Amino acid sequence: MTGAIADDLLTAQASADPYAVFDALRREDPVHWSGPHRAWLVTRYADVSAAFADKALSNDRVRPVLAKQREERERNENQHGARRAEAGGDDGRPASASERVLALMSGWMVVSDPPVHTRLRKLAAGAFKGQRIAVMDARITALVDELLDGFLRGSGEQDLISEVAYPLPATVIATMLGAPPSDRDLFREWSDELALVAFGTGGAARAERHERALRGLNEMDAYFRGLVAQRRAEPGEDMLSAMMSTDESDTQTSRDGLSDDELVAMCALLLFAGHETTTNSIANATLALLRDPAALAALREDPSLLNTAVEELLRYDGPIKVINRWVVAETELAGRTILPGERVHLVLASADRDPDKFADPDTLDLTRSPNPHVAFGKGIHACIGAQLARMETRIAVGRIVERLPGLALAREPVWKDALASRSMETLVVTH
Amino acid sequence: MRIGVDSNVCEAHGQCSVVDMDLFPLDDDGYSAVGPDATVPEGEEDVARIGVESCPVRALSVLEQE
Repeated sequence: MTGAIADDLLTAQASADPYAVFDALRREDPVHWSGPHRAWLVTRYADVSAAFADKALSNDRVRPVLAKQREERERNENQHGARRAEAGGDDGRPASASERVLALMSGWMVVSDPPVHTRLRKLAAGAFKGQRIAVMDARITALVDELLDGFLRGSGEQDLISEVAYPLPATVIATMLGAPPSDRDLFREWSDELALVAFGTGGAARAERHERALRGLNEMDAYFRGLVAQRRAEPGEDMLSAMMSTDESDTQTSRDGLSDDELVAMCALLLFAGHETTTNSIANATLALLRDPAALAALREDPSLLNTAVEELLRYDGPIKVINRWVVAETELAGRTILPGERVHLVLASADRDPDKFADPDTLDLTRSPNPHVAFGKGIHACIGAQLARMETRIAVGRIVERLPGLALAREPVWKDALASRSMETLVVTH
Repeated sequence: MRIGVDSNVCEAHGQCSVVDMDLFPLDDDGYSAVGPDATVPEGEEDVARIGVESCPVRALSVLEQE
């Protein structure tokens, strides 16, 4: 191991091409303590897989932050002699907007371990299952075509992300939750605000945006509460109605339906988890095809490649670079001792380019099969929306390839400096 | 219809369970708990087929069509 190994994933260079950084880490120090990130970077496929199954690595990573924040606030209040009742009410409600949003997020199944996770997951899975695939397919195709109609009316250089890849997933989620189409734009705004809060602010300069985001999320909270009340009074075929219904035939798993607080948190989670990730999947897939004209031509020629193509595009340049785990017991990864309280970054984008798992990992092979990529994670936390994400990506990429025969990259894209996601600011193309 | 998993091949990707967590249960470690030979309830054959096909390492198979 060299002392000079590049381990800051947030430099402009690493954001533009993280794969060179991952390559070096995988070869030189596959389970690496990164000073800049104050976390372990796990970059090999085998170690990422082992970490997914390791119960010492917990998903319960928001509650400790929330507890710390509450503790600090209470300490401050005591120091200043303020009464709890004045600051935050004595009914246990969090005081600050930030605490309220963290409280909402701490209820997310994605940051829970079993058994809390198991119950939420079963309810959400049941709701996904209730959505008829053929209906969703037709609905998504219509939405993609509507967005592409608008895109085709424009000319010259246009951003495929803001016009197509970005609006699609928020609209799909709004529809699946049973919200009226006129509220689509609200969903997009809240999704941005959730991302801002969940991924941190990145310094004082963005503190104001952070505050604004928190105010926006209070509106979201109120909106979802209204939607929940509506659906309780008048259930429909949407996912929200499905998650509140009780299933008496299933006594074994106590499918007792979700409380209002849980439903609001679940709506926010589905929006947050399903939006930017899917935008990135569509945009990164399109970029990968634009950079590989032979692959693009092959896909145009033979749309039956789409299913394996989508899996390969997810592997090759997927939407998520890193997911976190919180260490709750001493454990070992590739000979390194990992201690409680430390953080572990599982570098999915690196695992999916590991030559020990994938032949010619840096080659885009639209026929690659089997393709055991980890773009959706693994195990009990594997992305619950994976099938929906696949469907959206397949339909969007398929329609883009078919309907934009003259598609060409107009400018080199700029990548966001984000640790968790692999995300472009814009994808400017001509058609 | 009957389906089964080859436990030596399963890598705990969990994709089958994303398709249907009742037809394709996982054990505590995320591996398929469907067993070597399970009967699919009538009417759920299509979902079962999608679940089998979703396995990225082909650990699942349809043992018998009906």
